[in-house]
Amino acid sequence: MFRRFIMNIQIFFEGSILSYRALFRWLRPMTYIASKILAPLTMMIFFVFIGAYASGSNNASFYVIGNALIFAASSGIFGVTMSIGGERWSGTLPYLFGSPANRMAIFVGRAFMHILDGMLGVFIGLGWGILLFGLDLSQTHLIPLLLTILVTTFSTAGLGLLMGCVGLITRNVMLVNNTVYFMLLLFSGANISLESLPKWMQIVSNYIPLTRGISSTRLIVAGAGIDEILPMLLEEFLIGFVFTLLGFFFFSAFETQAKKLGTLEIF
Amino acid sequence: MIKKMKNILRIIGMSFEIELRQNLTDGFVMFGIVIQPLIVAFMALWMLKDKGSDYAIFVVVGSAMTGLWTTLLFNGGNSITGERWTGTLEPLVGSPSSLRIVVFGKVLANVTQSLLSMIGCYTLISIAMGYPLTLSYPFFFLVSIVLTIIAFVSFGVIIASLFILIPDFQRLQNTLEFPVYILCGFLFPITLLPGWTTPLSYILSPYWAARALHGAAQGTLEINQIFLSWGMLIIFSAVYIIGSGSLYRLVLKRARVDATLNTTG
Repeated sequence: MFRRFIMNIQIFFEGSILSYRALFRWLRPMTYIASKILAPLTMMIFFVFIGAYASGSNNASFYVIGNALIFAASSGIFGVTMSIGGERWSGTLPYLFGSPANRMAIFVGRAFMHILDGMLGVFIGLGWGILLFGLDLSQTHLIPLLLTILVTTFSTAGLGLLMGCVGLITRNVMLVNNTVYFMLLLFSGANISLESLPKWMQIVSNYIPLTRGISSTRLIVAGAGIDEILPMLLEEFLIGFVFTLLGFFFFSAFETQAKKLGTLEIF
Repeated sequence: MIKKMKNILRIIGMSFEIELRQNLTDGFVMFGIVIQPLIVAFMALWMLKDKGSDYAIFVVVGSAMTGLWTTLLFNGGNSITGERWTGTLEPLVGSPSSLRIVVFGKVLANVTQSLLSMIGCYTLISIAMGYPLTLSYPFFFLVSIVLTIIAFVSFGVIIASLFILIPDFQRLQNTLEFPVYILCGFLFPITLLPGWTTPLSYILSPYWAARALHGAAQGTLEINQIFLSWGMLIIFSAVYIIGSGSLYRLVLKRARVDATLNTTG
């Protein structure tokens, strides 16, 4: 029992690190720098300037925080989805499903490195905000901020796990990824305050990852403590957990169905 | 001379048709042309709504420009990368047809279909959201669109050469998307940016395209200012097309010397 547990932990970490390395081809750091540091920065600059143009005043911190948290979604959605969907494209899915390894360890392991990476992304985003737009963190409590970033990255990775399963049954994984990512940008309140959105959009934003993470971060930067944001964080965690479970359900269903019908590698 | 011209047009036509057919099977192409510009349009309209309904046409044009650029950058570049992945880049380069002409046809197809962005944004904002949309100078707007297409195609031919020469260039695609939105003033005026970026905007033909289209749509430019933008678009297009001849010879020579034609990044 204990031995099996240790083995599952090993599968979790080895699978997570190997799939992460395979995705970014670490021999060429340019891929990482281009897609994880520079591209989100340029997106942040774009929305900060539209915001400045719209309001005519300097409320850059609203957009900086929103777009810094989007960095988490970048890892959570694209990284995790490609880690799972990539198994099919690179022809390794039959080996994966042929192995006796614990499926939960394989599945959730694909998200682990991207959660760490997503957190790093948010720090980089906030760093850009401080450097370029004078984001003021003097009122910020560090521990609640770290916790919020961790939970938000986890919840977006949960959505990424679900999307990864979609990537196992469609050829247009990039269409799905990008659409979900931009929908998050629209519905999460990253660039538009939630109160100003139409009612139906506010309802949708209640059921997606990131919304509460962004709201919490804005409150923390304004000086809020853990007590004020804890309910939102718990809900954010719950959303991530539900998406992860849904993803695992589809992952298992896909495996069973593909083995039964012999469609494991059919595109 | 006429025969040669006919041949060139035939190659462009074939390349255009094949690219269009291939794109129709690619969902990501539809994302760049329709979904992303619509989401950007919605966000921009919501962010700029306090500026009044006059800004709706500004958002339509700006969002459509984002679709135009994204399509050019991703689809134009990916069409070369796609040839590389399927192993057809070498035969394409080795064929008697000029690679530059083939690429021109591909980019023309991409730019033409990306005009759907403008139709999509117009429909969303005008019909779905009920904003009144009127063009201040419809004729100037139409001419600006034609010149924009020519300028974007010429620019795309230059960009595609980089994908041939540098297999790793695809990795920079994501990084190049938003800087052009920013520097070319698609959805906010470049006067908001630091002064040192202005010369960078001036050397990008999409900036002049956005300037002409925004000016003609909103009526915020004098006629002579629109003419200036047209002049710049024509000059840039001519420079790109003339320069692309030597560039493609150089690129292909380098690619052969370095043996990078079939190397995937």
